[in-house]
Amino acid sequence: MRTLLEGFRTNRAFRLATLCVFVLLAITLAAPWIAPYDPLHAVMTDANSAPGAAHWFGTDKLGRDVLSRVLCGALYSLTSVLALVFVIFVLGTTLGIISGYFGGLVETVIMRVADMMISFPGVILAIAIAGILGGSLLNAMIALTIVTWTKYARLARSLVLQIKEKEFVQAAIVNGGTTSHILWTHILPNILPLLVITAVADIGAMTMELAGLSFLGFGSQPPAPEWGLMLNEGRQQLQTAPWLMFFPGLAIFGTVVLFNVWGDLLRDVLDPRQEP
Amino acid sequence: MMQHTSKKWLALAASLALAGVLVTAGCGGSKGGSQDTLKVGVTNFADSLEPTTNYFGWQVMRYGIGECLVHFDDKMHTEPWLAESWKVAPDKMSWTFQIRKVKFSNGAPVTGEAVKKSIERTFAKAPRAKAMFELDHITADGQSVTIFTKRPVATLPGMLGDPLFIIVDTASDGKVDFAKNGPICTGPYKVTKFSKAKTELAANENYYDKVPYKNVVVHTIDDPTTRAMALQKGEVDVAVNIAPGDMALFKDKGKFTTSTIDSLRDVLARMNQAPGRILSDKRVRQALIRCLDRENYAKSLLKGTFTAGGPVMPPSVDYGFTELSQQNPDKTNVESAKKLLAEAGWKDTDGDGILDKDGKPLKLDFIFYSGRAELPLYAEATQADAKKVGIAINLKNVDYNVLDGIGIRGEYDLLISNILSEQAGDPEVFINQYWKTNRNGSNPQNGSGYSNPAFDALSDRLAVEFDPAKRRTLVIEMQKILMDDAATVIFGYPQTNMISSASVLHADIKPCDYYWITKDIAPKQ
Repeated sequence: MRTLLEGFRTNRAFRLATLCVFVLLAITLAAPWIAPYDPLHAVMTDANSAPGAAHWFGTDKLGRDVLSRVLCGALYSLTSVLALVFVIFVLGTTLGIISGYFGGLVETVIMRVADMMISFPGVILAIAIAGILGGSLLNAMIALTIVTWTKYARLARSLVLQIKEKEFVQAAIVNGGTTSHILWTHILPNILPLLVITAVADIGAMTMELAGLSFLGFGSQPPAPEWGLMLNEGRQQLQTAPWLMFFPGLAIFGTVVLFNVWGDLLRDVLDPRQEP
Repeated sequence: MMQHTSKKWLALAASLALAGVLVTAGCGGSKGGSQDTLKVGVTNFADSLEPTTNYFGWQVMRYGIGECLVHFDDKMHTEPWLAESWKVAPDKMSWTFQIRKVKFSNGAPVTGEAVKKSIERTFAKAPRAKAMFELDHITADGQSVTIFTKRPVATLPGMLGDPLFIIVDTASDGKVDFAKNGPICTGPYKVTKFSKAKTELAANENYYDKVPYKNVVVHTIDDPTTRAMALQKGEVDVAVNIAPGDMALFKDKGKFTTSTIDSLRDVLARMNQAPGRILSDKRVRQALIRCLDRENYAKSLLKGTFTAGGPVMPPSVDYGFTELSQQNPDKTNVESAKKLLAEAGWKDTDGDGILDKDGKPLKLDFIFYSGRAELPLYAEATQADAKKVGIAINLKNVDYNVLDGIGIRGEYDLLISNILSEQAGDPEVFINQYWKTNRNGSNPQNGSGYSNPAFDALSDRLAVEFDPAKRRTLVIEMQKILMDDAATVIFGYPQTNMISSASVLHADIKPCDYYWITKDIAPKQ
C-alpha cells in the first residue's frame, strides 16, 4: 500500500490513469442517475434516429436511447467484469498457493486439471461451455471462470515454489510457525503484487471476452443493455445506422485501453524489478 | 522511468492512429462478374437436398433443380409445368394429368410411370404428404397419370405444385445420394457439388428450354446484413430477401435492380394454449395481442416493408382482408389489455412490474430464430410492449432446424415464424396445419393445443368443396373463428424482394416463395 501511495506521488502517468479509472467507476456507479432515459424504454416511432439534440448517441432499432444504454451498459458490463476478475483471482490464487505450498497429490491433481484446461483454446472452450449451459450473463461468467483460473493458479504456484525456499520462510517453519501463519504473513504478501498486476491487466481482456460471448449470443440476452450484445444488435444496421455499433464499440475500446494502461503503470509502481 | 512511460503513451497514440486508419480504410468494391456463372446469395435451412425430408424440397426448387407437375402464376393460379393439362373425373375421386415429353437431367424420359413412382415415393417418405391429401392409388398409361384419392380433393393440382411433390427420377434413387448430391430432376440446373454453405450447379443439358448460365453458385449467407454486403461488393450477383434496413443501400438504379412484391407470407406467433399453460386463458391471449402496436412495428421498425397484422390471410390474396380487419376484436389497445389481465386475475402483488397469480409470474417463453431479420425485431418489440402491461417475455433464440420440433412438441408459449399462407395455391393446407384439432397426432403441426369444433367442421366442409366462391366464404368464416378465439398473434405481412446487380436480367421475385433461380434469370448481353 505504501508503494502504491509512493507511486501515486512520483509517477505522473499513474496518477492520471488512476484518476481516469476512478472517473470511469464514478460514471458507472452513477449511470442510472445520469442516463437521460430509461435504457429499456422503447419509443418505436423514434427507431434508428441519428445522433442529435434529443438523443446524443441516437436511438436503436426499437427507439431506445443509445447514450442511456451505453451508460447503463457500463454498470452491467463493468460490474460483471470486475466480479469475474475477482472470482478468478481468488479461486486461481488459492488453488495455486495450495498446490505450490503443499505439493504432492494435491498439486498433481490441481495442476493436471489446469493443464487440461489450458490445452484448449480459451475462448472456444468458453463458447462451448456457455453453449452447453445456455445463454445468460451468469453462464458466460462461469464459462470464463472455468477457462481463466488456470493462469492464476500456475503463476501463484510458481511464485510460491520460489519463495518457499527462501531463508525467511525456512526460518519461520523451523520456528514452528503454523501453516496458515506462514501462508498469510510470509507467502501471500510476497506474491500478491504480481498477481494483482496480472488481475488488473486482465480486466481489459475479460471485458473483451465477456462482450465477445454476449456478441455471439452466449452471454447477456435481450433487452439487457450490455455492450457486446448492443454491438450484435447494431451489426444489422451497420451501414444505415452506424452509431448503433460505434458508441458501444467506443465504450469497450475506451475501457479496455484504460485498464490495460493502468495495469501497465501499476506494474511499474508495484514491481519496479520488472523494468526492462 | 519517466522516459519509459512516455514511450508507452507514444505507443498508445500510435495504436489509436492505427485503429483509426483501419476504420476509415473502407473496403473498395471488386467486380469480376462472369457471363457464364451466376452467383446467388440466399438463406438456406436445408442441410440435405432430399425433397421429401422436412421442407428441403423448397431449396431444391428455389435452386432451379426440381420442378413439379403444376406451376403457380403471379396471382397464385395454377398453370401447366411438367403437366400439360389435367382434369378431374366426374365422380371427383380422381385427377388425370397429361405429362409433357421431357427428360430428367440424366437423360431418362419423364413418363407417366416415372411420375407415378415419384409421387408414391413422396407418400412413402413424407408424413406431410398424407396431411395434404389421402392417396388411394395411382395409375399410369403412357404420358398420362391418374391419381385416385380416398376423398374428393378440390385443390389436388395445387397441392402437386408444392415442392414436396418435385418429380424425381426414382430409378436413380440409391445410385445417386439425393440428400448429398441432389436428386435427379427436370429443372434448368443440376447439382455438381452440395454443402449447406455452398451449392454448385451446372446447366442441365437435357433441359427442354434454353438454360442461360453454364454454372450457378449458390452461397448460403443466412445473415441478412452480410448478404446485403456481399451484393454490394459483387461477391454475389443476386441476393434474396434484403432486410428492410438495408434496402436503401441499393437505390442506385444504374447498379442494382430491385424487385419487390407483396408476399403471401404471414409473420405470426403460435400461442400454446394447452391446458395448464398461461395462454390457455383467452383473456390473456387477447391482452397480449392488444398490447402489441403492430401498426407501429410495420411503419417505424420495418420502414413500411410490412403491412400490420390482423386477419390470418394476408392482404395480397382475396380472402376478405379488409372486412375481417374491421371486425378484428383485438386491435391495439393497451388500456383494455390491462383490464383483461385484471379480469383474468393477474395482479402485481410483489411490485416488480410483472403481474402474477397464485405466486406464479406472468412470464412467457418466446421462441424465435434470427435467419429472417424481422423476427428478432418483432420478438424484442413484443418484449418491450408486453412489459408495459406487466407481461414478461423470455426470449429464446433457436436454430431454425430445431424450430419445427419445438412447434410440434409444443415447447413454447409463443413461437414466431414467417410462413407462406398459400402452400399449394390455396390456403387450405396453411389454415388447417396450425389450428385444426390435433387428435393423437392427426395434425402434428398443431402443437398449440388449439381446438374449436366449429372450426373443424368448416375445415371438413372446405376439404370437399370444389366451388371457388364457396371455398372463399369458408376460409373467411374460419379466419373469423380464429380471430374471435384470439388463437394466434398475427404480427404482419411482409413484402419480399430480390435484388440483383445490373449485369443480371429478369431476377424477379415471385409471390410464390419456391421460385428463386429460374430459367428466366439471364446475363445482360
